[in-house]
Amino acid sequence: MIGLARKIVAGGVVAAVILPFIPLIMWSFSNRWFYPDLWPRPWGTRAWEYVLGIAGSQITAALGRSLWVAAVTAVMAVVVGTPAGRALGLYDFKGKDLVSVLLTLPVIVPPLCVAMGLHLWFIKLGLAETFGGVVLVHLTFCLPYTVFVMWGVFSNYNLDFEDQARSLGASTLQVMYRVMLPLTFSGIVVAGLFAFLLSWSQYLSTLIIGGGKITTLPILLFALMGSGDRPVAASVSIVFVVPAFLALLLSARHLGRRSITGVR
Amino acid sequence: MGELILKNINIRYGGEPVVRDFNLEVRNGEMVSLLGPSGAGKTTVLKAVAGLIRPERGEILIDGYSVQDLPPEKRDAVMVFQKPLLFPFMNVMQNVGFGLRMRGEPVREARQRIQEILALTQLGGLEYRKVHELSGGQQQRVSLARALVLKPAILLLDEPLSNLDANLRQQMRELIQEIQAQTRITTLFVTHDQAEALMISHRVSLLLNGRLRQVGKPRELFYRPADPEVARFFGARNFIQGRVKDGWFQSEFGTFQVPQGFTANGDWLTATIRPEDLRVSPDSQFEIQGEIQKINFEGSATRIWVRCRTTEFVVLTSEADFFPGQNVRIHLPPDKIRIFPPDSKEFEKIEEI
Repeated sequence: MIGLARKIVAGGVVAAVILPFIPLIMWSFSNRWFYPDLWPRPWGTRAWEYVLGIAGSQITAALGRSLWVAAVTAVMAVVVGTPAGRALGLYDFKGKDLVSVLLTLPVIVPPLCVAMGLHLWFIKLGLAETFGGVVLVHLTFCLPYTVFVMWGVFSNYNLDFEDQARSLGASTLQVMYRVMLPLTFSGIVVAGLFAFLLSWSQYLSTLIIGGGKITTLPILLFALMGSGDRPVAASVSIVFVVPAFLALLLSARHLGRRSITGVR
Repeated sequence: MGELILKNINIRYGGEPVVRDFNLEVRNGEMVSLLGPSGAGKTTVLKAVAGLIRPERGEILIDGYSVQDLPPEKRDAVMVFQKPLLFPFMNVMQNVGFGLRMRGEPVREARQRIQEILALTQLGGLEYRKVHELSGGQQQRVSLARALVLKPAILLLDEPLSNLDANLRQQMRELIQEIQAQTRITTLFVTHDQAEALMISHRVSLLLNGRLRQVGKPRELFYRPADPEVARFFGARNFIQGRVKDGWFQSEFGTFQVPQGFTANGDWLTATIRPEDLRVSPDSQFEIQGEIQKINFEGSATRIWVRCRTTEFVVLTSEADFFPGQNVRIHLPPDKIRIFPPDSKEFEKIEEI
């Protein structure tokens, strides 16, 4: 019974992930698909020919730029978020509650406000329409998540491991690389994945700060959506989803309870 | 070599003094246990030696050199924690080799030393086991091996047996004793278990409320406790007061000869007698009359509370046929009486506890 129930639940989860893709895939392989037709008529590879052919170089460039922005954002989010999470998870200090409120602010305040507000500053600082500016604005949305994940990891972290390592002759740097990093690795991967996916799907902030100069994949995608060519938009969407899906699969091993509970 | 000297150590933790004026000398090759109830500051002292806590005042010398300003990794003292704390992402061999790797020891020599230590700690054949595949006892042995492989001048053990069940604890205790005898590694062993301390160590140091109360051979502490509090820690429950007159200790339960070297005359002193040394009998052969208040049958012995006038005595006897309310007589064998020296008059303090 339990086995069957499990299978049903697992099947449901898989279906919930896969099903929405089916119309998308169908759209991408249609030449036209009008109401009230159940199937596209006729089927065709016009959209894919366009995406991989004429628009190929444009899409590849956008894909590369998106990957690069998301990767740099994720790495920076982890580099900043890990020590912050460690401090919040391990030590008690005045204003800790305030920090947690401040951390959620960029998530609560509408992204449009954040991006518009930062835009003025970024123009003054010469960061508008630059790669660095886009990464920074993505960080404002990604950092809270990485900090929260690492906070959770470190609130279950046993500092005795580090004391033990030091007593066994490990220097401060060695303790960091040989003990802390491996112990929290799963959590770091999860935090990095969050940051990567968030940055990957940013549209509004990239548009405002990048000013159209930093054309990431979502920027291109929205442009194509606006043009009304559904099959092309569908195939670009698939191109857009695949890397995110791969990132998820690669880190699947680290997802789950163990990664966020840390080690006692 | 391994000689440890602690001079006047004072440690505060969050503003509170945890250890006060602590002095201890551990000689080369010696196994000294640091005994005390939980919260007495034992682990704090150990961490101070390991360099993980900085004392407020005092000096720590290893082999004659002050290690005050050395970080833990530079001190030739390795601590083994109460929990095994094995790195879960490493196998047994990698765990044991951790310290050697941190030192940058050549792989081949490291391997050989790891093998030697694994054999010594009876872990041969488990080299490639994952940590979570080991039993509690094995984990504790890996933790010990991980420290021993570094051949530190001082080995610091923080209650390494307290997480094990009784059977395993005995085995592990014997193993530690054996390894210590074989390697002659200077060891400071923290425990709250008096029996363990008496069994395992060459000398015992008793820590109560952050202060060192007595250091000596196990028999010394047990049979000649320095003051009533030490006696109480080792299970003494019977305290009587008396006045010294011309070399005799006079109390309402008899007059006993004062040991040589006591200069007190006319002073009130405290004496104790261990529960197992008191004699109890239903017949009238003994001089002090009393009534049984309570009986606890403990298997090999029976614990009896006897009220004699205003004092309640605890007697441990091998005879079991007593009952509450029974009138009995007790006897205090003079050779078993321990009279505390005049400078340890802390009887009132004891009564409060």
